Amino acid sequence: MNCQRIIRLLSAYQDGELDAARAREVESHVCGCAACRAEWDGLRELDRRLRRLPPPGADPFFATRVMAGLRPFPAGKWRLLQAVVHALVFVLIFAGGFVVQTALNGRSAARPATDSTFSAVLLEPFDLGLLAVHDDTMRLFAPERP
Amino acid sequence: MDEARLTDDEVVASVLDGRTRDFEILVRRYSGKIIHFIERMTADSDESRSIAQDVFFKIYQNLSYYRAQNNFSAFIFKVARNMTLNWLHRQKRTVFFSRLLGRELARPPLEQEPPRISPQERDERERALTLGLRRLPEEQRLALVLKVYLEFSYKQIGEVTGWSVPKIETLISRAKARLKKFILLQESGGEPVLQARDK
Ligand SMILES: [Zn+2]
Repeated sequence: MNCQRIIRLLSAYQDGELDAARAREVESHVCGCAACRAEWDGLRELDRRLRRLPPPGADPFFATRVMAGLRPFPAGKWRLLQAVVHALVFVLIFAGGFVVQTALNGRSAARPATDSTFSAVLLEPFDLGLLAVHDDTMRLFAPERP
Repeated sequence: MDEARLTDDEVVASVLDGRTRDFEILVRRYSGKIIHFIERMTADSDESRSIAQDVFFKIYQNLSYYRAQNNFSAFIFKVARNMTLNWLHRQKRTVFFSRLLGRELARPPLEQEPPRISPQERDERERALTLGLRRLPEEQRLALVLKVYLEFSYKQIGEVTGWSVPKIETLISRAKARLKKFILLQESGGEPVLQARDK
């Protein structure tokens, strides 16, 4: 019958991830099908064993060790100062993009400006922050197509 | 201050405000789960503590990038996942290069016994299970560990890994099928534990 389909659903059923309709379908089939019943029993046994693996032993000094390794966070006004420095660096990067572009093209900076666009750049490998960078700066890294 | 009542986001705000010591609340709240997660992924209890420590350092350094949206758990597990996978890949490269240089390790890390085996784990069945887990393809193992040991829903696993729910469903289902087969094989005395390498 549709044993194959049921067997594919069993794992998600076990994890409580099926909607009510599909869950009922699985239940009524498994009740009347010895093969799928055996499959289900196997899954339950595996789950029991996985959960029986002992958790790592408690490490009462873990938090203390972590805390001992931290440098204090720059607080209040220092964070403000840091933010100002970052902002200045960004402004320099933007300005750098314009300067380099005009220098490369030999055009005058007084020439009517073309559309200005910005790109977002990932700061960290795990999307912890975005940085807006002027596209002229981006072109320094990715050569413009003709 | 009743720290149990503070939400993760409130604690983060407090740390960012300069109360560094409050970071310890987050460490105590999450260290057990993070260590458990890493240990199941690496099967190495010493390394799992050292990686977990680095996870908390990384979290601390990047705390200002965390956008308070009541999802600190996803944030910290993303970092833990990345650092654990990096470690596993470094291990693989170490094995590769030591073979390349003819300095074969006594046994490559992936085939070693778990370095510290708790008394209960000496139980043959548990040993087979630990080994079976370690033999799962990385993505399957990651999904299964987050499901079984951290009781994440498929949606939460998606938040940590960036995978779709159908993909997670398939990964976990395959992981279970593979583990079942592996254990059955062990118990029927088919292949000795150390040679039963699939993939
Ligand atoms: Zn059936």
